[in-house]
Amino acid sequence: MTPPRRHLWIAAAIWAVLSIVGAVLVAGIQIIPVIASREAGIENSAFVLLAVLSVPVLMFVVVGLAYSAIWFRANGDEADGPPIHGHRGFQAAWLGISFALVIGLFAYGAAGLVDIRGAQTADFEVQVSAEQWAWHFTYPSTGATSKELHIPVGQRVHIVINSDDVIHSFWVPAFGIKQDAVPGRTTEIYVTATVAGTYPGLCAELCGFGHTNMRFTTVVSNRAALKAWLRKQKPGSEGSQPPPSGSESAS
Amino acid sequence: MRALKPGLVRAVVGAAIGAVIGAGSLILAGIVGMEITDGEILGLGYLLALIGFLFGIGAFRFWLTWAVGREVNIEEEHAAHGTAGDWRRYFLFTTDHKVIGVQYLATAFTLFLVAGSAAMLMRFELAQPGLVLGKEAYNEIFSTHGAMMITVALISIVGGLGNYLVPIMIGARDMAFPKTNALSYWLLPLPILLVAINPLLGGFDSGWTAYPPLSQQANLGQQAYLMAFVTVGVASILSAINFLVTVFRMRASGMSLMRMPIFVWALTVTSVLGLVATSVVAGAFTMLLFDRVLGTSFFRASRGGDVILFQHLFWFYSHPAVYIMGLPGLGAILEIVPVFARKPLFAYPLAVLSFISIGVLSFMVWAHHMFVSGMATFFHIPIMFTTELISVPTGIVFLSALGTIWMGRLHFKVPMLWVFGFIWAFLIGGITGVFLADVPTDLTLHDTYFVVAHFHYTIVGGAIFGLFAGTYYWFPKITGRMYSERLGKLHFWWFTLAFNATFLPMFWLGIEGMRRRVADYSPQLGGVNLWVSFAAFNIFLSVAVFVFNIVRSWRRGPQAEANPWRAQTLEWQTASPPPIQNFDHIPTVSSGPYEYGGGLGVPAEGRATP
Amino acid sequence: MGFGEEDPDAARSNMLLAVKLGILSETMLFGALFAAYFVIRSESPGWPPVAGFERPALLLPGLDMVLLVASSGTMLWTVRSARSGDRSGIRRWIGLTLLLGVIFIIIQGFEFATNGFGLDAGTFGSTFYVLTGFHGAHVLAGLGLMAIVVRRANRGLVSAEHHTIVEATSYYWYFVAAAGVFLFATLYVL
Repeated sequence: MTPPRRHLWIAAAIWAVLSIVGAVLVAGIQIIPVIASREAGIENSAFVLLAVLSVPVLMFVVVGLAYSAIWFRANGDEADGPPIHGHRGFQAAWLGISFALVIGLFAYGAAGLVDIRGAQTADFEVQVSAEQWAWHFTYPSTGATSKELHIPVGQRVHIVINSDDVIHSFWVPAFGIKQDAVPGRTTEIYVTATVAGTYPGLCAELCGFGHTNMRFTTVVSNRAALKAWLRKQKPGSEGSQPPPSGSESAS
Repeated sequence: MRALKPGLVRAVVGAAIGAVIGAGSLILAGIVGMEITDGEILGLGYLLALIGFLFGIGAFRFWLTWAVGREVNIEEEHAAHGTAGDWRRYFLFTTDHKVIGVQYLATAFTLFLVAGSAAMLMRFELAQPGLVLGKEAYNEIFSTHGAMMITVALISIVGGLGNYLVPIMIGARDMAFPKTNALSYWLLPLPILLVAINPLLGGFDSGWTAYPPLSQQANLGQQAYLMAFVTVGVASILSAINFLVTVFRMRASGMSLMRMPIFVWALTVTSVLGLVATSVVAGAFTMLLFDRVLGTSFFRASRGGDVILFQHLFWFYSHPAVYIMGLPGLGAILEIVPVFARKPLFAYPLAVLSFISIGVLSFMVWAHHMFVSGMATFFHIPIMFTTELISVPTGIVFLSALGTIWMGRLHFKVPMLWVFGFIWAFLIGGITGVFLADVPTDLTLHDTYFVVAHFHYTIVGGAIFGLFAGTYYWFPKITGRMYSERLGKLHFWWFTLAFNATFLPMFWLGIEGMRRRVADYSPQLGGVNLWVSFAAFNIFLSVAVFVFNIVRSWRRGPQAEANPWRAQTLEWQTASPPPIQNFDHIPTVSSGPYEYGGGLGVPAEGRATP
Repeated sequence: MGFGEEDPDAARSNMLLAVKLGILSETMLFGALFAAYFVIRSESPGWPPVAGFERPALLLPGLDMVLLVASSGTMLWTVRSARSGDRSGIRRWIGLTLLLGVIFIIIQGFEFATNGFGLDAGTFGSTFYVLTGFHGAHVLAGLGLMAIVVRRANRGLVSAEHHTIVEATSYYWYFVAAAGVFLFATLYVL
């Protein structure tokens, strides 16, 4: 029979090798498929770090289970195992490591959140109005309105969100930001797009039958192109007709 | 006249009379010119139908006799306990906790199949890009699927295995309040039926979370769901009180708290959660109902109400509810591990402490469902901390399981296979939970398939794997017969492989940007979705094997011994199935529940001889 | 239980524990309602939110509070009589408590009928009626329990040994009275 200590060493060695290999493999992956904003970049690094840290945790349990399933089978032996009720040192280590992990993750997450939220200042503002089932964008600088979202590249954009009827959620996957549009209150979010291009936007909160198709297009362009585009938009043309009802009529 | 005795026939008649009186009187009032809405008709009709049903089944007859000061007929009361071997008691207001446990199990598994069929319809719609059933139908199907599966997860282990086993495991003859126990069960059939027939009322499309304002504009089926949920809530509060009094007051002599089986501990903490949290969601759903039916404006933004308030109240219940679903499964798993590893449960006191901490912490994490809701940013930080903190006590469950398995003498019977499957699934659920607890990653993952995959890994991993493990483990005790080991293994491997093949790819779908609760998606995700649909269909088929195994073994399986697993807890020290009063003599307990290896205690036979 | 020798002491302590747990759950229910009230009120520009809309006068609800507090006192005496086995005392005191409760409900009904605003009167009407209505429903349930006590006492079934129902009703009633006072302070005064 293998002595208990040797089992531990063998399993620990397997675990260490698998963890290192796994962590190295994961560390190189870009997880968020399209990254077109500063915020999405922060989220991607958080994602990668969490993924790297999960590998040893995952491997610990998996190696423990697999090793036991192979080596500790009873194989018809009816005898009981050793009467071990616990192990003070091991329990303390387990608790200590999990607390340390939690505090580390929390600190990193909180720092990331502060970084994403950033200062409450912006170079450009867009007002978003959501309704069943369409998005409307207004640009206060010129009063222009549109059904597409146009923002400048490399500048901090303040997005102010409202809803006329039910809860929607403003989401541009490539920006890594998501913010509910809540009737009765105004929500906001800041984003700095880093790569010019066209990106899909979606409603992320169930808002009824049309939820599936409640999409919009986001165009990120340089300031000059954006200005030209804004000039072409007639002020208030899109928003001039009152939003279709779906909202409270009883008030 | 048999039909006139309290029973199902009379209950159905009672429900019909109640519905006719309730709905009829309002319809009449509408005819004579009063302003009556459909919601009011449905509401009063349902309420009176429920009361009529309970009267018909005989829920109140002893209490009424007692309340008016008449002698309760003791013989009749004993008869309500049922006679062993009489199948009719499963369809009556029977007060035996073992009968009630089986009633819950049968109800839960039936509901599981219905809700599973709804999932098959969902995967049918999602198998290919484009629409087949349509967006309306899809929204209603996933709402019904969610509502029913939540009920399954809430009632199956607690109501089924808990009712059957807790009194026996602590050495009691029954629950503290057997009639209330039966009432808790019989409160369920009508609301479950109401949710099942909600498509006839126009369905509801707001998901099980029922966020207003969407749920305020939804069809009448929405109201049916809200009323059903409140009824189920009342039932679970009653059952929680019953469990707590039973556990705290009815233990056999020598059964100190720290000698209780871990499964009993899990149900105790679960009951505290159910007791404290359920009335909050009942309150929230009632306010929502009033908004819909009586014209109040709690959650009507246009009239000064607050839609986010609903989310706070809802998740204040519904996050603890995740542990109401999960903890009993964890308890069942830790109960089973020592038996098939032939070792004492590793770090038992720490495991008890972890259950209690999970219970306490679960009340402080609700707002992590609302990281993108627009609530104040400063509130994200403490909620992120408490949410991540809850992984410490949850981790202790893994410590206990792994510590018990390590150096054990593992017997891979079917329940033990489910233990391994559980640890894997719950591990994936736990690790991916950290990604959702972390606000930066949640901002991108929120409301995507990543969340869908995560909660299926935790709830199926926690509740359903635990339910299957427990059902196989206690099957010989409950039925007195052995299940087929071969079919059980087939079920395990088929289910587990299909489950992982279904939900692992969903993490990827979520990262790729596939949203929850949509009937259609970008064409480039078609291949993976087809695979997922195929795998999901296999889950359903594997459950058919389970049903076949259970039904066949119950009727014709080989006789089971009293203690086929050589386990040490009390339920195995009495006959299979246990006699009507559980024990011929109440045992005296002289050691902990898992003294394998002859450590501190005496062998099983010595510690609990009747 | 219905089995073999029943221990009345155990049954009694089980029942009273159950009542306490039930009250804990009820507290959470009222907690949810109060939370809704305070959140909505704090977000409102004024309270009542509509200008020129007056809160109901204090007189009737104030009287109701006096009745509730007084009925807790008479309930206390009911319990004392029950413990000492004073059968006529039980009937007298529970009868008085019941009477006070009935007057409470009548006054509340009158107030509801003459308030001049309804459930659909915005957030003020919603919170006002739902909170007081839930409380009123609890009072009614308490009256039902008292009616059972009266009936059983009249039949001579309440004694020094058998008065669990009296104690259980009293716990519940103290809770209802406390919730009522809190409600009064919040809805009418604060």
